[in-house]
Amino acid sequence: MFIPEFKYFKPNTIQEASRLLIDNPDSVLLAGGTDVLVEIKKGLRKAGTVISLKALNELKEISVNENEIIIGAAVTHNEIIKSSLINEKLPVLSQTALNIGTEQIRNTATIGGNLCTGASCCDMAPILLALNANVEIISHNEKNILPIHNFFLDHKKTLIKQNEILTKIFVRIPTLNSGVSFLKFGLRNAASISVASVGTMIKVLDDIITEARIAIGAVSPAPKLCSSAANLLIGINANELNKNILMQIAVDAASEALPIDDLRGTANYRREIVKTLIERSINISLNKIKNKNLTD
Amino acid sequence: MKQIIKLIINGTLIETAVSPNTTLVDLIREELRLTGTKKGCELGDCGACTVLLNGKAVNSCLVLAIEADGQSVTTIEGLANGQELHPLQKAFVDKGAIQCGYCTPGMILRAKSFLDENPTPTEEEIKSALSGNLCRCTGYKKIIEAVSSVSEYKNNNKPEQVSYRLQKSAEDLTVVGRRLPKLDTPDKATGRAIYTDDIVLPNMIYGKLLLSPVPHAKIKNINVDKAKKLPGVKVILTGKDVPDISYGTSPARYDEFVLAKDKVRFVGDVVAAVAAVDEETCYKALKLIEVQYEELPAVFDPIEAMKDGAPRLFDDKYPNNINTRVDHHFGDIEKGFAEADYVKEATFVGNRTFQNPLEPHVAIAEWDRQGRVTVYTSTQVVHYVHHQLSRILNLPLGNIRVIMTNCGGGFGAKAATNPLEILSILLSKKAGCPVKMRFSREEMYLYGRGRHKQYIEMKIGVKKDGTITAVKQKAILEGGAYSSFGIVSTYYAGSMLPTLYKIPNYKYDGYRVNTNLPPCGAMRGHGTPHPRFAFESLLSMIADDLGIDHIDIRLKNAMTPETRTCNDLDIHSCELKACLNTVRKKSGWDTKKGKLPFGRGIGIGCGGFVSGAGYPIYRSQFPHSNAMIKVEEDGSKAVLFVGDADIGQGSDTVLAQAAAEAMGITLDNISVVSADSDITPLGFGAYSSRVTLMGGNAAKMAGEEIKNQILISASKIMNIEKDKLECKENKVYEKTNKKNYIEWSVAAAKHFSEKGPLVGKGHYSPPEGLGGKYKGAAVGTSPAFSFSASVCEVEVDINTGKVKVLNFWDAHDCGTAINPMAVEGQVEGAVVMGMSETLFENEVFDSKGRMINADLHNYLIATSADIPNIESTIVDSYEPAGPFGAKEVGEGATLPILGAVANAIADAIGVRVFELPITPEKILNALKNKKNEKEKILT
Repeated sequence: MFIPEFKYFKPNTIQEASRLLIDNPDSVLLAGGTDVLVEIKKGLRKAGTVISLKALNELKEISVNENEIIIGAAVTHNEIIKSSLINEKLPVLSQTALNIGTEQIRNTATIGGNLCTGASCCDMAPILLALNANVEIISHNEKNILPIHNFFLDHKKTLIKQNEILTKIFVRIPTLNSGVSFLKFGLRNAASISVASVGTMIKVLDDIITEARIAIGAVSPAPKLCSSAANLLIGINANELNKNILMQIAVDAASEALPIDDLRGTANYRREIVKTLIERSINISLNKIKNKNLTD
Repeated sequence: MKQIIKLIINGTLIETAVSPNTTLVDLIREELRLTGTKKGCELGDCGACTVLLNGKAVNSCLVLAIEADGQSVTTIEGLANGQELHPLQKAFVDKGAIQCGYCTPGMILRAKSFLDENPTPTEEEIKSALSGNLCRCTGYKKIIEAVSSVSEYKNNNKPEQVSYRLQKSAEDLTVVGRRLPKLDTPDKATGRAIYTDDIVLPNMIYGKLLLSPVPHAKIKNINVDKAKKLPGVKVILTGKDVPDISYGTSPARYDEFVLAKDKVRFVGDVVAAVAAVDEETCYKALKLIEVQYEELPAVFDPIEAMKDGAPRLFDDKYPNNINTRVDHHFGDIEKGFAEADYVKEATFVGNRTFQNPLEPHVAIAEWDRQGRVTVYTSTQVVHYVHHQLSRILNLPLGNIRVIMTNCGGGFGAKAATNPLEILSILLSKKAGCPVKMRFSREEMYLYGRGRHKQYIEMKIGVKKDGTITAVKQKAILEGGAYSSFGIVSTYYAGSMLPTLYKIPNYKYDGYRVNTNLPPCGAMRGHGTPHPRFAFESLLSMIADDLGIDHIDIRLKNAMTPETRTCNDLDIHSCELKACLNTVRKKSGWDTKKGKLPFGRGIGIGCGGFVSGAGYPIYRSQFPHSNAMIKVEEDGSKAVLFVGDADIGQGSDTVLAQAAAEAMGITLDNISVVSADSDITPLGFGAYSSRVTLMGGNAAKMAGEEIKNQILISASKIMNIEKDKLECKENKVYEKTNKKNYIEWSVAAAKHFSEKGPLVGKGHYSPPEGLGGKYKGAAVGTSPAFSFSASVCEVEVDINTGKVKVLNFWDAHDCGTAINPMAVEGQVEGAVVMGMSETLFENEVFDSKGRMINADLHNYLIATSADIPNIESTIVDSYEPAGPFGAKEVGEGATLPILGAVANAIADAIGVRVFELPITPEKILNALKNKKNEKEKILT
């Protein structure tokens, strides 16, 4: 295996990086490299120019702004896992990151890279969709902030254009009366690609569910929100959410999936699994709210 | 254009120029020549190339060297302090955590970064932390033990010794039967051990193969003109440039050409070879070779391939693509089933699995000016490579030197002569300089030689009390495009069934069918794991139907010592019943079987294997294993020379233990040189689980010759009759008065002074006339057979179908365990590999015969996070044919696993999956079908 020759740039500012993107239409952005380099080695992606994001320190920051966590796109999964800020305010994100790849991959692979591959099995997507995160995209002279559910378009297709850079992810810190969880199902216990993954967020006010989001991964061309199923949760008394309602919601959500047959499972099996994951994830999210209230 | 970067490598600041497209692993290995960092997959899936970048573990194959500018890199070479091993390295050596050693450097570095953050981890934390580093040999158990015990090795503490009950047969011995660290492990722990890919010869160039992209085609034309013109290309060979001689593994079925002559038969068939200044140029040249194929209809399913009118792979042989046909009948099958009170049959389907040693195949060839060629290779079988090269090159053995370097695992994948070995020689001859060739992970899968997928119809008849009266088996083996080991695999699939249980009447119909897929060969357990899985499953089903306990029905039929099987195999030592009783007790079988909640289950499987094939692969009268020992003139050390191959299983150490015991010296006074055809005497190598018994007998015999001369020499010095002397632990003493002794080395030095070199030699041939007289009777014969029983406990998530294997209790009869720690390592490795095969592994092809999971990302093997608790026991046993009573463990340990897992899952969910791998999806489907059937019955 080998990597064909390329021009290499390591810009120091985002502006410089944007300029390089425009000047080099054959360029590929390199963050962690764990996907891009694999694709180049396998001959699936051509890269005449590689633009490294290594020197862009502003993409490596994790910060908090009022009720929002801001994560630079080049923050690695392990930096998320080890961030005290995230562990305190948004622990579900480190738990999700821990489910991705291997230690070696997590030390290099970045959250932005994970999103930008646009893979349907991208594990960061369901949780960020459930958290209603926003992403910042910068082109040469434009900065756009948009909801992440607009980001994923189709299989391996995102909103990002050739001359744009994903720079930041904004995640609102869940309120005390909300619960968030991520579940994935892989065929082995580590380093596995999701057969299906689910992120759920549920908010409860006076026992009544007031807000709910269910996001699914690996079971449709791109990760997506199952809005109509999630809406069924709204207005329900959290204590009265029995198994039948839950199952109905899971069935509805699963019907919004568009899974395919592949190595890891048939479409039917994926539908089956995503249903189970949705049920389990909703229960976990609800339990988190209950437990929080208990500790209060 | 190259750019200058600065790196701190193992504490030293270096400045070097790199091309932007150079990966960190290539900088470390090829430029800085720190070859302890290994390449296993090049795609970030295996962890073998793990280094620490600023203290954090990364896959150096997925980091560009230029991106590491200004950072600090620690490789395995940076861990030890001079000769003093790092505590982790000591722990890995001591605890038996190293087998082939190829994953070891990456594993140790990952463990270091983990322990730096979490010095007192739990076992579960360790399992999770190491799950990015794949190991195919150890089953991870001893690695986890090493990591959790590392604190004991700090500050030069004496770590706690593992309590181990000495086998009865080892009580009077001093070296054999002891848990001793393997001799090669300090080198493997520090990255010093040299594997073939670590060697760079002066003026060396590189070679690569052009593989067929189509499954079946005539080659109409090959044009290499453009490729030849590419700067840096030195030689291009196609079918017309190589000898018109076919080769393979079994002489009766030599059906491969070095390069395709006129036809390709699978995606991956070798069409051309290129040598150039580097691999990159080779790859570019391969793209410029124009091959005109006339595609032919292809067939991928053996059942389809057998039908009249199916596309034929060979026009001149194998009618209906049936490459091998076995028709065996022992006793009277009709009578046997007539005598049965209960008969049951079922169909089982195996899976196409691949050995996946962590080290890819590599070969380097170099010709000298006297017409001799040396080939360094990562092989299991130096002699067979030697023999085959001699045939193909038309050179006497003496003009070819085959050197096996350290070998990063084999499991059968490296048990035959491969295209790299042959073509590196041919390319090197034409280029006039050394040529290195290596497989990528994908090329390994396409070269194939993994396990045949078998379609098995099994039928068993029993008396009311469970006594077996008859067994009938039909097996269709999907063989892939060429024969490889396949004839033997087909015979083994039948011949090993009657060795575990007494089967009075037995019929076996075997078919090996060619398909347009990579050839299948010999993988751990060679041909027998799928039939064994089928048999153990069906036997347990019968037990359920008759209301007999699963262990009881096995005890009822279990093989006994000194028995001739219905197919004329002679069993000598046999402790299968002891194995069964041991796992029954240790697993708490009687308190669990039938009493576990739905979703949890327990199952039993048994296994066993030959302890070395009774006959060689090609006809010869040479002894199968040979040994020489040379004692240094001062008697300080003995050097053992053996032709057999240590592929990580530890045979160098085991043979050294046998030789040292025979000589009366300790293990630290012996070293081993193995598997170099110029230096070591012939040994058939590491296949058919043969080395312990056969190499062990040869080493012991050589040791005994030394001992005899030592006693003669000592007798003169001590003035005591020779018969009254004995030697042990580096001393020669009077049997009746141990205090009257001299040093062994003194006796040795005296011998040298008076008679010249103190040498001993030994050889081993299996007893003559093994086996019956029928066609194929040779396959399955062996001087001895191993036996084992395994109980597996699982938990099944009935909503997803996912299986968690919780526990394994294994008992193995390997005779005297020469090195119990190595035996445990084999058992643990076999448990995890067998479990992985049962649950995860399968090669998948698209409709054009292209493998779609030819990497370690999509072809899943078990990680440390998947493993169960494993408790293994070595039962008391003594094999008269083995050295000090020893026999095999390597392959036999795999045999019980598949059935045990399948039976445990069936026990957990009340329904059985008949096709491997038993995936969560198949489990969910089986549960659904059962529910539907129940509902049907109710309505």
